Amino acid sequence: MDITVNHFLAVSAILFTVGVVGIFVNRKNIIVILMAIELILLSVNINLVAFSVFSGTIVGQIFAMLVLTVAAAEAAVGLAILVVFFRNRGDIAVESIDLMKG
Amino acid sequence: MTEIERFALDYLPVILFLGLGVILSLLFIIGAAILAPSNPDPEKNSAYECGFNAFDDARMKFDVRFYLVAILFIIFDLEVAFLFPWAVSLGTIGVFGFWSMVVFLGVLTVGFIYEWRRGALEWE
Amino acid sequence: MELIAFYILAAIVTVSAVAVIAAKNPVHSVLWLITAFFTSAGLLVLIGAEFLAMLLVVVYVGAVAVLFLFVVMMLDVDFVELKQGTLGYWPFAALVGVAFAAEIALVTFARSAAGDEINAKPGAATNAEAIGQVMYTEYLLLFQMSGIILLVAMIGAIVLTLRHKPHVKRQNIAKQTARTRKDAIRRIDVESGKGL
Repeated sequence: MDITVNHFLAVSAILFTVGVVGIFVNRKNIIVILMAIELILLSVNINLVAFSVFSGTIVGQIFAMLVLTVAAAEAAVGLAILVVFFRNRGDIAVESIDLMKG
Repeated sequence: MTEIERFALDYLPVILFLGLGVILSLLFIIGAAILAPSNPDPEKNSAYECGFNAFDDARMKFDVRFYLVAILFIIFDLEVAFLFPWAVSLGTIGVFGFWSMVVFLGVLTVGFIYEWRRGALEWE
Repeated sequence: MELIAFYILAAIVTVSAVAVIAAKNPVHSVLWLITAFFTSAGLLVLIGAEFLAMLLVVVYVGAVAVLFLFVVMMLDVDFVELKQGTLGYWPFAALVGVAFAAEIALVTFARSAAGDEINAKPGAATNAEAIGQVMYTEYLLLFQMSGIILLVAMIGAIVLTLRHKPHVKRQNIAKQTARTRKDAIRRIDVESGKGL
């Protein structure tokens, strides 16, 4: 039996679910939330590449590269915001980020 | 030659490096465990003579500058990632592909000049 | 043979992903994240997407994970305290997770009932070449857009985090080497018996 696209879909579905659960479980720690988002993006990438390879078109892999770019930019800017927030407030607890709440 | 044999042959250097890395690191760990003398004693961990116990956690704050350098590294890492497929397919994509990459590099050079002028690369 | 490799790699990916979100110490989380990325790169190699596998290792393991490590170490936060009281979130998180997994499984199996499988590879010498042949011409706009995204990320990160400390003395080498005898020395005739 060969590897089929379903195998890859299963792996990326598991990764996606783990990422979503991770956001809820680590509601207090924003760094781990960002890592969970990276996991979700990884699962999306696996999905895109699997579809691209098994359907014989290259477009999925190009799109995966763009997702990679966006993920890196997101990590850079997100962590920069985190650093600035820590500098201003002295902690990064998610609960204390409620100044905008009316 | 079957599919798997060809696959293994293609990746022979990678497999060799991986194997060498695993073997070498295991060798160091096991060698240290076997050869190193081990007589644990609480006195060895205590402060020596007039030394004092640690006041605080060993964690210390990193300078933000390290982070900035890491970000700039990410950006240029991705730039290089986009250069690879361009380099191997330059023969088929022609002049248009060449100039599209030049525009891309130009955009990132704008950012590079910005960070240079802001002094983000200086270490004061 | 390939299937065995796939199952091993998939198991490692799953375990390390769970460890990322369950680890107490964020440094351990980052290390598990690196494992997850590395093993997924192995998964991609299995189906012949070599270039993307390389990118995963170079960009994610080499850069993004390092960025996370820097930030975890840079911020001096009591992570044990942050972890407290999160146990109460588990039931809700499990509920959401099960719902998500069920939905995905529903869609996947509804689609795959036909069991069709297309197994063609792009017709270029290497994976990177196949990507390069269309990326810079047909998908020009997407390509330039990613350049602009990178530019914005770079400028944004600098604007957000860069603070110059005032009163720092800097060495200006060009100025230093351009300095001549005329700039540095002044000759004054001093009358004898008097000071300046």
